Amino acid sequence: MTLAVDDDLWSAIGEPTRRRMLDLLLAEGAGTATSLSEHLPVTRQAVAKHLGVLDRAGLVHVTPAGREMRYRVDEAQFARAVAQLAAVGAAWDARLRRIKRIAEAIQRTRDKTNQDKTKE
Amino acid sequence: MEYGSVEREIHVDASPGVVFEVVSSPEHLREWWPDEAEIEPAVGATGRMVFYRAAPEEALVVPIMVVDAQPPRRFSFRWVYATGAVPGPGNSLLVTFDLEPSGEGTRVRMTETGFRERGWEAAVLEQAYQEHREGWDYFIPRLGEYVARLVSLS
Repeated sequence: MTLAVDDDLWSAIGEPTRRRMLDLLLAEGAGTATSLSEHLPVTRQAVAKHLGVLDRAGLVHVTPAGREMRYRVDEAQFARAVAQLAAVGAAWDARLRRIKRIAEAIQRTRDKTNQDKTKE
Repeated sequence: MEYGSVEREIHVDASPGVVFEVVSSPEHLREWWPDEAEIEPAVGATGRMVFYRAAPEEALVVPIMVVDAQPPRRFSFRWVYATGAVPGPGNSLLVTFDLEPSGEGTRVRMTETGFRERGWEAAVLEQAYQEHREGWDYFIPRLGEYVARLVSLS
């Protein structure tokens, strides 16, 4: 696993049309350039090009189906891409919990100080 | 799901002013993120964060640049860029804290964007910064000490 490969994976998944295609493939189980283009505001040729990018990033499996190629999402590779960002999200969850605790401790201290002043 | 950004929201029982201090001032930043922080909450200010590792010479030094600072509403900065580079879209990650009054407290909205533009490597790097600092054994004692110190000051 090299970073260069990971960069391909990331840019493959980062493009909005390709993300929409992945969503469609996940929802439908499988699809062809023709079937996908029916749901998207782009030509069949553009869809085929995007499918090529997804294929090179290992995000889809291709099998011949008559005159067309049938595509399915490679779930292991897709899960890897999602997990990477989920890890970053988890890191932020932990940071935000600490921000919350620190800010609340400061606020309590200040409220207490103000109360004490009022009493004086 | 948006694959190019991380978005989080949390309610904090403290005023936006207090939260702004915690997310932007070096003395608080190093309590919730890096081991050392040198930054001034002023637009365009550059600074650095230091993450300690097992050996002192392995410490990670990361540049940071303040993009927006409007106390007590918004604080945003760029990080994960090459030292010496001018950070902008495409070569860094942008972190934004939006603070909104909510009841007696604050609604904190955090977004980190730039993964799509910066590439997969940035996500790996972001994760790496966190990984070596994860674990309750490290944070709980630190946080306990910190809160105790705050309380003793009152």
